[in-house]
Amino acid sequence: MIQFDQVSKHYAGGHEALSQLSFTVPTGEMAFVTGHSGAGKSTLLKLLGVIERPSHGTISVGGQNLAKVRGRGIPKLRQRIGMVFQNHRLLMDRTVFANVELPLTIAGIARQERGRRVRAALEKVGLLSYERQLPATLSTGEQQRVGIARAIVGRPSLLIADEPTGNLDPQLALEIMGLFAEFQQVGTTVLIASHDLPLIKRMRKRVVVLDHGRLVADLAAEEVL
Amino acid sequence: MDAASHPRNEPSRTRSVSSWREHHGWSAADSLRRLAARPFGSLLTIAVMGLALALPLAFCLLLGNVQQMGRALGQDQAINVFLQPDQGESQVQLLAKQVGDRSDVAAVTVKTPQQGLDELAKLQGFSGALDALEQNPLPYVLMVQPKPGLDAPTVERLVGDLRDLRSVAQVQDSGSWRQRLDALLGVGDRVVLALALMLAVAALLVVGNTVRVDIASRSEEIGVLLLVGASGAFVRRPYLYAGIWYGLFSGILAALLALAIEFALSGPVAQLSQAYDGKLHISGLPLWLLLATPVAAAVLGWLGARLVSAWQLRKAA
Repeated sequence: MIQFDQVSKHYAGGHEALSQLSFTVPTGEMAFVTGHSGAGKSTLLKLLGVIERPSHGTISVGGQNLAKVRGRGIPKLRQRIGMVFQNHRLLMDRTVFANVELPLTIAGIARQERGRRVRAALEKVGLLSYERQLPATLSTGEQQRVGIARAIVGRPSLLIADEPTGNLDPQLALEIMGLFAEFQQVGTTVLIASHDLPLIKRMRKRVVVLDHGRLVADLAAEEVL
Repeated sequence: MDAASHPRNEPSRTRSVSSWREHHGWSAADSLRRLAARPFGSLLTIAVMGLALALPLAFCLLLGNVQQMGRALGQDQAINVFLQPDQGESQVQLLAKQVGDRSDVAAVTVKTPQQGLDELAKLQGFSGALDALEQNPLPYVLMVQPKPGLDAPTVERLVGDLRDLRSVAQVQDSGSWRQRLDALLGVGDRVVLALALMLAVAALLVVGNTVRVDIASRSEEIGVLLLVGASGAFVRRPYLYAGIWYGLFSGILAALLALAIEFALSGPVAQLSQAYDGKLHISGLPLWLLLATPVAAAVLGWLGARLVSAWQLRKAA
């Protein structure tokens, strides 16, 4: 379960990215965070990944207060969260296989097991035949799917994605969202930041709407029209 | 299941150790590949470090040989003890035995006044002047040879004891130059030590700067690694191995350069040795020092990489 309790984030210069944000995402739920550019979507995800710290308030993931996660606890926490980025953030000098394998190598998983799990993840995103290729030889959509495979290969219980379909055409975007929905169905909590309202509407999942860092609406799946 | 409380990615301890070993192997190989991928830059770094480390070795070689030369030449430098003119031969022989019995004396040779006069006569320009003398004015002289390997203060003590003898008129200590040489070599020792330390720091900075540039050029990759849960140690590992490689190769280069200097010196030293009746020999750097240099340089490289990568990664995190 993800819990934001009165969370605010101020940057130097007085800019308030998030203001007294409170909401909860139960375990195994898929939710969208939406809002216009600068609404605070990315900041919210950065706080979950402990890339940034809140100025006020408490964030907890699975009952663990993130304020207390420090030092070596940060990489341990990140190993349990799958992160997908709009610009994929792949290592361009390593093969698709090596990119997806990375979280498992970091986690100290044995080579044989790594191979098995990487191929399973690539199969899931439909890129098994591309494992020996470099990311630069793939299309944007394929690169995004490599990024998703890397995020899910460690079997995270929380998957967060920042504008994962930002560079994709509508059909491909829908396919990617379908993948996220599949992960939710096997018990993974999924939180996606997106400003693609038509796509969000089609997915019919819970939507948290931000405006200038404030929570302005929290719509249940059935309330999304 | 929640992310923080129920990890699905937890490896067993045995698997973890095996994977850790595997990552060390990968990091060592990958850092070597990266060095080979930019041969000019890598060779330049190794050459600068190698030269910096070769300099103290060269000075060490020079100093060791000067010390050895000092000892070799010093063996022939006897202390000349001029006795009072009224000494009879039996008294002189008794005194020679008394001095010769000392533990710090290797040999005592008695030079009679006639022998002294004969030596002078052989010198150009003296024969005419000596003919004009009515009697031999030269005293008995004891040529005292100190035991080899004595240090300057011990020889000085011996000279003082000889000077205090009642029948002695004058003591000519031709070994005083050795005292000055010892003092100079003492200064040289310190200079070499200071130089070695300074150049070691320079080598450390060279590795540090190279690793810093390397880390800066791969900041994107480091960012990704940190985001997918890599620890600082995991991210740092390839850079530490790069530091070790730089150090190791530059240490090998420094040892080879020192051997080349030794080889280059052997010819002129052989000529010098002939001029001193073959008493001088070049002594090379000890084998342990040549072997220890690459190891110490590798440690230095690791340390440079460790300091800089820790600082850089703190900034990146």
